[in-house]
Amino acid sequence: MARLAAILKALWRAFQRSEKSIASLAGNNFFLVAVLFLGKAGSFLFLIIGLVILFPLSTDPLRKIPPSRLGLWPLEKREQVLLRAISPWINPMTWAIVALALWAARGSVTIGLWAMAAGIVAAGFAVSELPLPKGAAMWRRMPHFPGPLDQLIRKNLREMLTTLDFYCALLLSLATALYRLFGPPLPAEAFMAMTVLVTIALSSYAQCLFGLDGDGGWSRYGVLPLSGWRILAAKDVAFLLVVAVLTAPLAPLTGMGAGLMALAMGRRTSVLDPRPQTRWRFSAGASPMYGIGQVILMAFAASSIFLTSWLIIFPCVVFWAGSLWWYGQKLEESAR
Amino acid sequence: MISCRNLTRRYGDFTAVDNLNLEVDRGAICVFLGPNGAGKSTTVKMLTGLLPPTSGSVEVCGLDAAANPRELKRRIGVLPEDLGLFDDLTVEEHLLLTGAVYGLSREETHRRTTQLLHALSLEHGRHTFAASCSHGMRKKTSFAMALLPNPQVLFLDEPFEAVDPVTSKIMRDLLQAASRRGVTIFLTAHILSVAEEIASQIVMIRKGKIVWNSPAGELPQSLEAHYFDLVESPVVEELEWLGSPPS
Repeated sequence: MARLAAILKALWRAFQRSEKSIASLAGNNFFLVAVLFLGKAGSFLFLIIGLVILFPLSTDPLRKIPPSRLGLWPLEKREQVLLRAISPWINPMTWAIVALALWAARGSVTIGLWAMAAGIVAAGFAVSELPLPKGAAMWRRMPHFPGPLDQLIRKNLREMLTTLDFYCALLLSLATALYRLFGPPLPAEAFMAMTVLVTIALSSYAQCLFGLDGDGGWSRYGVLPLSGWRILAAKDVAFLLVVAVLTAPLAPLTGMGAGLMALAMGRRTSVLDPRPQTRWRFSAGASPMYGIGQVILMAFAASSIFLTSWLIIFPCVVFWAGSLWWYGQKLEESAR
Repeated sequence: MISCRNLTRRYGDFTAVDNLNLEVDRGAICVFLGPNGAGKSTTVKMLTGLLPPTSGSVEVCGLDAAANPRELKRRIGVLPEDLGLFDDLTVEEHLLLTGAVYGLSREETHRRTTQLLHALSLEHGRHTFAASCSHGMRKKTSFAMALLPNPQVLFLDEPFEAVDPVTSKIMRDLLQAASRRGVTIFLTAHILSVAEEIASQIVMIRKGKIVWNSPAGELPQSLEAHYFDLVESPVVEELEWLGSPPS
């Protein structure tokens, strides 16, 4: 147990050094929106509890130990299991979220629900131990794109498809599309709402576009004779392509407007405060307040396009293009 | 081909590179030696336009590196310290990306890619993602990316570390052939035997200052002895507990 205590102590120290303020605690926009709906409970609670458990794993403190180092330490199997189970609780956000979930679900928690939650906890912890590919080997085949950015766009698509954000958005999109096909008719506004939800699920990724490139990728961008806006454009094409595909069965133009806003707003943290991300986790954006601002702007653009006029897409494009140009210059400065 | 005048880089109170003056001729193989933290990588970053100097000037291929970084990048090839690879691209895709970004035609890119994969024994792993490559494969991929655009100057940060002897020999032969054709090569190294074999110019740096700069043939003694004399001598510390029975 002394070994375990020493490792947990070191983890706690490492975690404290990198997470100095509440603002630096990672925030995922979809999680934030889910929290807003938490009080409504009902059947949605199952999904929320899943997110509550999966979200802390997106800031899993155990990540701070390189797997090669962890593998070398002479730990017993029992110690490894305990380390896996205890380490997420080093993150104070885990405690806060669980407390919030318990408070929101007060009085309506049945034994069945607890069993379900326990199952999701187990599954959530197991995700970290799955032998998932380091790169995007399962996404080897990608379409080609014209122009010199072809390989960068393909790479960016692969990166995006190794985040849980994409799968969460895919699930929402598929479920709504199936409901549209086989369920009773829904009011048109429902599709707008679901489109916004799908883009929100993807939006935290727009705050950390370089999060999966790693140090090597970042230094390669510095070496390549490419202007900053083109590097960002390669990121944006991949992001908007995913948005277009996932919102195609819902309200595509609305989705595109929300996607453009997500990119324009997310640009600042992507370029000026790049945050390393981990594959097969939810993207951890900047501060929750920043995420809320991004979500509000996305919802405003989407509802304006859907309820007022499709022409609103043009100011969205202008805003996006302006951010592309401005932060392209900033990227060149920061890559140097 | 490379010219530095009073090149200095400070980080707050710490001076990483201090008044560095250096000239490297066309076709030379300049080996830049020094202990970890001496300022080698900082110098390379300034020479390649990745880091602006605090003061002084750098000229590479006749271009001011600080004023024309993008134009400079078109003319040089770089093997960065961290190799600069994307986990989500395969070995071959890295080379195709390089050709496209440097404006080579599709056919020429494929031709050079095939030749480089063959020359560096990377053919079998061409479809392997960088994330799954061994360190040696990653280094060879980054080396191939530096060569592919046919640069006028090559900057290589520790190219021979962690590569097998055969690959090391192939890389040395390629560099010497490139040098004979007029490509200027500036590389950092820790393996003194390799440095001694290929260098036409030796530069040693210690605590940000150049302590030796001469043609390779003008060293007064073996490179290793000279390095230990000028830069750093090995510390001998007796660890009496090492190898003793566990208590």
